[in-house]
Amino acid sequence: MRSISSCGALLSVYYPQIFLILTSGSYLALSSVVALGANIICNKIPGLAPRQRAICQSRPDAIIIIGEGAQLGINECQYQFRYGRWNCSALGERTVFGQELRVGSKEAAFTYAITAAGVAHAVTAACSQGNLSHCGCDREKQGYHDQEEGWKWGGCSADVKYGVEFSRRFVDAREIKKNARRLMNLHNNEAGRKVLEERMKLECKCHGVSGSCTTKTCWTTLPKFREIGYVLKERYTTALEVEAVRATRFRQPSFLRLKQSRGYIKPTDTDLVFLERSPNYCEEDTVTGSAGTRGRLCNHTSPLTDGCNLMCCGRGHNTHQYTRVWQCNCKFQWCCFVKCNTCSEKTEVFTCK
Amino acid sequence: MAGAIIENMSTKKLVILGVILMLFQAFSFMVGGLIAPSPTAAVSYLATKCVDNEKTHHKNPKWFTPWGPDQCSKIKDFDEAMVKKIEANNIVFAIHIPPPNTEMSTWFQFLLLILHFDIAFKIQNQIADGASITIDVRLAYRDDKLSEWTQMAHSVEQRKLSCNFTAAKTIENEGRLYDCDLLPFMELGSVAHKYYLLNVRLPVNERKKVNIGIGEINDMRLVGIHQNGGFTKVWFAMKTFLTPSVLIIMIWYWKRITQMTRPPVLLEKVIFALGISMTFINIPVEWFSVGFDWTWMLLFGDIRQGIFYAMLLSFWIIFCGEHLMDQTERNRFSVYWKQVIPIVFGSFCLFIFDMCERGVQLKNPFYSIWASDVGTELAMAFIIVAGICACLYFLFLCFMVFQVFRNISGKRSCLPAMTKARRLHYEGLIFRFKFLMLVTLACAAMTVIFFIISQVSEGHWLWGGHTVQVNSAFFTGIYGMWNLYVFALMFLYAPSHKRYGDEQSSADQAGNSGEDTQLTTTITHVDGPTEIYKMTGKEAQE
Repeated sequence: MRSISSCGALLSVYYPQIFLILTSGSYLALSSVVALGANIICNKIPGLAPRQRAICQSRPDAIIIIGEGAQLGINECQYQFRYGRWNCSALGERTVFGQELRVGSKEAAFTYAITAAGVAHAVTAACSQGNLSHCGCDREKQGYHDQEEGWKWGGCSADVKYGVEFSRRFVDAREIKKNARRLMNLHNNEAGRKVLEERMKLECKCHGVSGSCTTKTCWTTLPKFREIGYVLKERYTTALEVEAVRATRFRQPSFLRLKQSRGYIKPTDTDLVFLERSPNYCEEDTVTGSAGTRGRLCNHTSPLTDGCNLMCCGRGHNTHQYTRVWQCNCKFQWCCFVKCNTCSEKTEVFTCK
Repeated sequence: MAGAIIENMSTKKLVILGVILMLFQAFSFMVGGLIAPSPTAAVSYLATKCVDNEKTHHKNPKWFTPWGPDQCSKIKDFDEAMVKKIEANNIVFAIHIPPPNTEMSTWFQFLLLILHFDIAFKIQNQIADGASITIDVRLAYRDDKLSEWTQMAHSVEQRKLSCNFTAAKTIENEGRLYDCDLLPFMELGSVAHKYYLLNVRLPVNERKKVNIGIGEINDMRLVGIHQNGGFTKVWFAMKTFLTPSVLIIMIWYWKRITQMTRPPVLLEKVIFALGISMTFINIPVEWFSVGFDWTWMLLFGDIRQGIFYAMLLSFWIIFCGEHLMDQTERNRFSVYWKQVIPIVFGSFCLFIFDMCERGVQLKNPFYSIWASDVGTELAMAFIIVAGICACLYFLFLCFMVFQVFRNISGKRSCLPAMTKARRLHYEGLIFRFKFLMLVTLACAAMTVIFFIISQVSEGHWLWGGHTVQVNSAFFTGIYGMWNLYVFALMFLYAPSHKRYGDEQSSADQAGNSGEDTQLTTTITHVDGPTEIYKMTGKEAQE
């Protein structure tokens, strides 16, 4: 819990500053303010690779979206693993993408995939909302060099490809070292983006004379990010152990191979891959990046992973009594503030020793 | 005696004409496939959630823009609204059309908006059965980025939610989305302004049960569909080229039938009427939409198409009837009223339906006949009746075609026993009918095949280095094909000046008065008895 709150505090420290700088100033002076603020912001974000910093400075409007996308991935990761020993927390160097996991484990694979997918999802959603400009319409279309003319001639709806490409350019840019871990990270990033592309829904509408189907127009719809989380969680359970293969003895690792196979079988595009076995995540360990389960909430009657026996790794649990207050008899509306009564009862909460 | 051009044309000339028409046909397909972009473009919009802090409601509403210099104060999701104690009635969904750095154009011809709600499953806040959502929507426009927004439509609409939850309704699946149907939202018949703004509210009124029981809405998505400007230009150019082509052949055809010494027969009149309806659909009135804000252009186009199809279907019936080769005299429109009534009635039903949908949308672009139960039932009734009329027409047409072929086989066995003139006459009738039957079936098959291809395919093929727009090729190709059909029809079935069967036998004519009656009702009689003929007859007698 301490690391999660510190991570949230870290992100919240920078976001108000980013928003404040970018949204202040008059419209005409916005470009200069952005140009001035971009350097300050980009230099202050911890853990950016040099190429990422360059992208940040050239597209300051996108860096907010990227941060939101990374946070979207982290939040989804914490939701999907909320009942496990590892709940998407880690010790280690703090970056805009959360703490980096040192062990090349299944958990690291999931983290990289969900973060890359989160950035792609957030960029695509921002384009749909109009919060990002130049979303894929800056390419030459039908031979037109002018973006406006291309839009008027043949249209250019911003689809997921721009978000995926942007995620690829930014997220993959943090992989600097030439080693097996780099191959693993790049593969898992791409797997996350591929899952997002696969889950795009094609929807069609018939229109035309008297509503008949003389014309049918199709488009793709961005799925809710929770669906991506569920899919990647399934890929996590079937993740594949791989090892890096060198083309020659002294060259850098060139591709990944399934470890259990006899030949050189490569993982598929959407498989999650890992290099090392996972630690048990029971104890806090700075070497592996494990945060441990001390102080975690657990359910003392559950036989599953959120039960105290499994969660606390046999160390036992503490019991605390407190008065639970919750809202009851609510009159629900489709959103926002709802009118409820307040109920309370005494209850117990269990935490790992 | 003489027949239509098609009977007297040599095989060589007929093949040459066919090849020329085929080349034009291929060209019209290629114009759509290679030059034009796809017919329509779809743009996805995710509505921005703006917060309206004003407590008062005044006549001049404040406009909330999702981005730009004067953008509204936003919330990212409704958890944020919950924390700030913002109520449902203070949420405004804002959508700016088009996306940033683009502008709408009059070449887009129409703007169709489709609505989709992201509704999350919550055990305590589920979607009630038969739930209906009430939408308070305003539409505004402006023509440059610094102007004030001008309201152009305001409406309170209801749409029926049709949502399905595929997973189990358990706590573990809370937060997953329902699978909701798309909802019709808005249709503009012209795109006269550069920027449009939509502000949508979902007002809550617990006493009146307004927007209660519609689940927990996470997001509102819109899809904007418009015609591509490039496709519009290609389409207008095609129409502008085809109008004089069909007009010239119509004038030529009119001269041919007025040069005769007898009044035109029914079939000739119907062919001419078909040409008129083709010209009516060809006239590029749409050019005015580029300069004027005429919202009724879509409706007008629908009406013109309806007239052409009704005329084409009537022509087929009358053509079959006039080639029945039984001994009944026709040449009157009243003979065909039983077959034509399904055409007229079916077309009328579709016209009423179109007026109820697109006609009402001229005033209220957010209207949809499918939004209410009564409207849905009326619409289904009109469509079902039109479908029944179509089936009846098809049965009538098939029966008449069957009759013609039966009579053809009957006449064919009698051909060797006939005189030369009568044999040539019947052979001409048979050839005319079979030729048109073959061409019509080919055109109809081509239309159906391309319709199926455009439904199944993604819309474009990669052919070598080129992208082929299948849907555009379908539109321009089929449209060009039916124009060529009408053109060829008027050319080949115009009265011919050639004559054949010089032998005349007064004895035969006197002995077969019944078939003489049949002869006079067809278009074979071009010149009739002329002065020269009468003088020649007299000289022979003397």
